Amino acid sequence: MQSENGFYGQYGGSYIPEILYSSQQQILHAFEEAKNDPEFLAELNKQWQQFSGRPTPLTFCANLTEHFGGAQIYLKREDLNHSGAHKMNNVIGQGLLVKRMGKKRVIAETGAGQHGIATALVAARLGLECTIYMGAKDIERQYPNVFWMKQLGATVVPVTTGAQTLRDALDEALRDWSSSHEESHYLIGTSCGCAPFPEMVAFFQSVIGNEVREQSVAQFGQFPDRLYACVGGGSNACGLFLPFLDDKEVEMVGVEAGGKGLELGEHSIRLSHNLGQPGIAQGFATMFLQDNAGQLQETHSIAAGLDYVGVSPIIAHLAETGRIKMTYAMDDDVVAACTLLLKKEGIIPALESSHALAGAFKDAPNLPKDAKIVINLSGRGDKDIFNVAKAVEDETFPQFLTDYLASYPTTQNKGDKA
Amino acid sequence: MSQLATFIEAKRQNKPILSMTHVVYGYPSVEESLSWMEKLMEEGVDFIEVQFPFSDPVADGPSIVAACHKALEQKLDVDTCLSQLGKLAKRFPDSRIVLMSYLNPMYRFGLDKLAQRAAEENILGLILPDLPIEQAATYQSACKTNNIDPVWLVTPVTPPDRLAMLASQASGFLYCVARSGVTGHSSHEGKAKQTSLDDYLAQIKQHASAPMGVGFGIRERAQIEQLTGKADIAIIGSALLDAYNQGGQKAGIKLIKDLFH
Repeated sequence: MQSENGFYGQYGGSYIPEILYSSQQQILHAFEEAKNDPEFLAELNKQWQQFSGRPTPLTFCANLTEHFGGAQIYLKREDLNHSGAHKMNNVIGQGLLVKRMGKKRVIAETGAGQHGIATALVAARLGLECTIYMGAKDIERQYPNVFWMKQLGATVVPVTTGAQTLRDALDEALRDWSSSHEESHYLIGTSCGCAPFPEMVAFFQSVIGNEVREQSVAQFGQFPDRLYACVGGGSNACGLFLPFLDDKEVEMVGVEAGGKGLELGEHSIRLSHNLGQPGIAQGFATMFLQDNAGQLQETHSIAAGLDYVGVSPIIAHLAETGRIKMTYAMDDDVVAACTLLLKKEGIIPALESSHALAGAFKDAPNLPKDAKIVINLSGRGDKDIFNVAKAVEDETFPQFLTDYLASYPTTQNKGDKA
Repeated sequence: MSQLATFIEAKRQNKPILSMTHVVYGYPSVEESLSWMEKLMEEGVDFIEVQFPFSDPVADGPSIVAACHKALEQKLDVDTCLSQLGKLAKRFPDSRIVLMSYLNPMYRFGLDKLAQRAAEENILGLILPDLPIEQAATYQSACKTNNIDPVWLVTPVTPPDRLAMLASQASGFLYCVARSGVTGHSSHEGKAKQTSLDDYLAQIKQHASAPMGVGFGIRERAQIEQLTGKADIAIIGSALLDAYNQGGQKAGIKLIKDLFH
């Protein structure tokens, strides 16, 4: 979806400190050129196929379809990308752009860690220096991803300001970029931030929806009746939805994180139920969770990747115009949807993606049997093992952790052995 | 000429360089921040740049970020802040107050209302670092109507044609950012490109008829001596906050004396 001077209706734009003006302009021009350059697009496509494993399949879920007795359920398997999430589509694209701009270093922020991993992987592959900002609380929740980022050679910086989550990591990444923009590129992981980031990330992610268009026609002879995607920042939703924007018969549903409840601080619902308010922060205008004085508020979700205080200006605009229907799923329903997919289909979904599952599972029984729905499985759930084990109150997992920790070669033990 | 520019010109008759000190409203409490501003004006600082805190101050370094977050533990209100600043402005006619904040809290308050209320309280200038001039038509016209100055920033990496454009639209004074990066000491400081300040200021001077204030990273007397004769205002932010954090108002005043007297 093309913006008008960086705006999508009243959302988007470029509200950055003056120090970043030149860099922002450089990215704007580099992206404009690259997206129309057949050589760049061919290289992008090659990397998507040969490094990330595209195209990802469209998987029919016969057992779930039978279970609900309504719509026929398909999953777009972005979990099968290298690194286990759709994040890779965008990172490969921006990584190639960084090389094209001649910069040597990438900065990224990450919540769940999937964007951090994807950035660290691509930085390693392209020979770029890499610094990842991550909220100290998110580091606790997603340590396995942090471990891999470090092994890949990235510097992971814990952010201890504010609520110590994604929003604080984003502020810190912006500060780094302000100081280092001449040699560094801020590799934003979602379709947020100043122009052209929303459009650029959506462009790279649109490979998801473009593949669904072809695959759906090939597999069941028509476009899907309805699409579902979880919405944190909104990049996987943009990727799935935007290629279908002009196909009015295709309905689109975005699912936000309902968290623990509808009190401010307990959820990350920006668009459903008018819980967000228009605002301008972190480089762009969108719907933010904020108080009446315009201070951004803390958020919650069981899925670290969804607890962002703002949302893509593209999604905010499409929700406002009614093209996308927004809903939300509560933490408990998300865990239930996750375990149902595990048991019925043998697929381990990320908790982020499980929001899309929960939204779709609510509707599926009430839809006609010939309706086809596609749910974007944006990522795989390996990273969520600790949170899911806790949520399902698995009795043996704590014992495993205790035993494993006891057997872990501590510095003391190593000394003893030496 | 604007009220701010007139004030600067008059003051510069007797002073080689003017002082602008930065205070975070509400840090560590509203009362203490007001008392701190009062003390600074008693000391004769020419300007106080009052920062109304925002939860996500992306152009600021760690000292100011921490102060803003601490200040926001209290419920702060823009209108009350303006009223309180108005009272100070009345009591200290030899100094001027400039309000700085980020766009979102001011946008929620209403940019028209902000300009009007600021003028009522004798706040002569507004600084919003995340509002680019391209998006500022409404704000600029509200400022013009109320005869207050929207202060624009230029940086060492602002391209020449843009520098000329910003300088030509400058009113009050032009805020010249001394180096790439955020305010004060920061973990990112090592990455910031250092530029030749003299060349940079000379380049700005070619385009700017408005007075020039220089800030970001200024904490030593030698830096102020270097600016004297080339700029009109030296802006002290994080250094003053750091001194205040270490030794309260007394340490802050000592720093101001060391720097300017």
